[in-house]
Amino acid sequence: MSFGRLKRHFPWITLAVLVLIVGTIHPSFLRPQNLIELAGDIVPLFIMALGMTLVIYIGGIDLSAQSVANMTTVLATISLPIFGVFSGVLVILAGLAFGALSGFVTTRLKVPSFIATLAVGGLALSVGQYASSQRALYMDAGERDHAFGWMVGSGWSGVPHELILALVLVVLAWFLQNRTTIGRALKAIGAGEPAAVASGLKVERYKILAFAFSGMLAAIAGLLFSVKLSGGSPTLAEGFLLPAIVAVLVGGTPLTGGVGGVLNTLVGVLIVAVVRASMLYFGVPATSQQIVFGIVLIVAIALTIDRSKIRIVK
Amino acid sequence: MLAMATRFAVPCPWEKSVENLLTRDNLQKWAPLLVLFALVLFFSIANPNFLSMRNFARISILSTPALMIGVGVTFIILMGSIDLSMEGAVAVCAVLFATMFTALGGSLAGWGWLAIPGALFVGALFGLINGLVHVGLKIPSFMASLSMGFVGIGLSLLITGGDRIRVEDPLFRSLLTYRLGGFPVMVYVALAALLIAGFIQGQTKIGRNFYAVGGGEDLAHASGLNVPRVRIIGFVIAGIFYALGAMLAVAQIGIAETVTGRNLMFVSITSVVVGGTALWGGAGGVWNTLVGVLIVNVIGNGMVVMGLPSYVQDGVLGLLVIIAVYLSTDRRSLSFVK
Repeated sequence: MSFGRLKRHFPWITLAVLVLIVGTIHPSFLRPQNLIELAGDIVPLFIMALGMTLVIYIGGIDLSAQSVANMTTVLATISLPIFGVFSGVLVILAGLAFGALSGFVTTRLKVPSFIATLAVGGLALSVGQYASSQRALYMDAGERDHAFGWMVGSGWSGVPHELILALVLVVLAWFLQNRTTIGRALKAIGAGEPAAVASGLKVERYKILAFAFSGMLAAIAGLLFSVKLSGGSPTLAEGFLLPAIVAVLVGGTPLTGGVGGVLNTLVGVLIVAVVRASMLYFGVPATSQQIVFGIVLIVAIALTIDRSKIRIVK
Repeated sequence: MLAMATRFAVPCPWEKSVENLLTRDNLQKWAPLLVLFALVLFFSIANPNFLSMRNFARISILSTPALMIGVGVTFIILMGSIDLSMEGAVAVCAVLFATMFTALGGSLAGWGWLAIPGALFVGALFGLINGLVHVGLKIPSFMASLSMGFVGIGLSLLITGGDRIRVEDPLFRSLLTYRLGGFPVMVYVALAALLIAGFIQGQTKIGRNFYAVGGGEDLAHASGLNVPRVRIIGFVIAGIFYALGAMLAVAQIGIAETVTGRNLMFVSITSVVVGGTALWGGAGGVWNTLVGVLIVNVIGNGMVVMGLPSYVQDGVLGLLVIIAVYLSTDRRSLSFVK
């Protein structure tokens, strides 16, 4: 089997090897209870990475996801006493709007996506800071459980509800990606945008849609995180951006887009979760996580990027 | 009335020259400066306190670290690349500078001054790694530098353990406390560094090479330029300016910590773009960045003087970036944007 064909299987092989290594050295890691907890904790990150996947899939990037999630935690906490469960709908729509704005700026105004999303992230940051008056806010426990209690905790089966939510979202995203015209269009754009334009696709519309989905999923991630921690602050989701991008790339969706997809990101997030957990097990200080993930990111990009698509690397 | 009528009847040479002055190029060249003047005028009318020596000194102090970071990233953007690592680079440089400074006796009068070339070396090294990752591994610069930025922040956290390092040497702090003609010494240091940057940009071969690479990499390559080498040197020079910015930031508050670099990425890139340096490379330069940094800081200061909360700034900066990139883009020449 050639290297190129093997490359597709790298992500899950990496995951299996990592689990094996950690499991052999620390057998307690493999306890089902531990694994389920581990998976439950990573769900907000997974949801954000899911949105990021769609944008990277078309060859863009979304650097605003973390700021949108931050903003969401604040907006959700503030609007919960007023709108109850509908505050969820409200913040998801807000995320959708910010994502669509990123998409509009990058497609219609021709601002490269990393700058466009950085700028829109600045807007979201401002909104979050304005709405919270730069303070940490707390949800009323009763109101929270009444409106969003179904999101967290575990029912009779012992499976955390976050995991079920994640499963539903990944199935929806997978369906969108593989079974709808939108999904095929996104793949076409990722595989070669000029060709997609030439064949009459309304490329701009689909790109805006991808960014909008990313903003929406970032908002859902923020909402879940804020329900989990029972509060919100304009910096609550700090530290999400790097692992989210890492998850997409180690999962096997290259920065150049076109291949990979949401199932790859599922594997990628599990890799991130195992690496995080193993750093705890092996006593690596939490502060060096960023170093490890930064280097992992460089390696993952270098291994997966499709250099035939970028003649000049700027 | 009569004068107007004759002017419309016979096109005189004066009118012709106005037409020449109003070309797209000229407008793009001078628009940032005009915007700066308009802003100063606007805030002065809104609140006369804006137009005072003390306030100008305040703006200049706040601008100096951002100016150094902005000048550094200008070289990168001139080449059509981007550097998003400055927050990490500044954190590492600031923290290592303070560590070295303290270890060497903690005074500029003693051996402490060695920490300054030490920090510049750290900055250069950081830039070198950045460049090597980008060029060597053929990774787009925005991702290579973003990753390196995260590595830098992690590294500075590891060094400090999340603590602050105080730098209280009066001689070093005199960068802020000692004033010449109303402005603290650090402003003059930054201006001197800006002059050096201007010299690199205009008078040296590598400076011309940055423009060549940014103007068209194919052509630069075809005419025999060692493009990878130019790119790496660009990142090294940027790193040295980040180190300078880091030290000035430490001089400003007397503390070195991981968050020393906070928000500098957004502010510096906004400044460069707002100053009129095109994101696609090949046009603009460090003088534009000076204007851009002043625009950004005048807006920030003016909003505070007018009584607006400081956090509105991020939103305003975000809008500014979008507008500036939109206006500076020649959309006919672009088929698609990623």
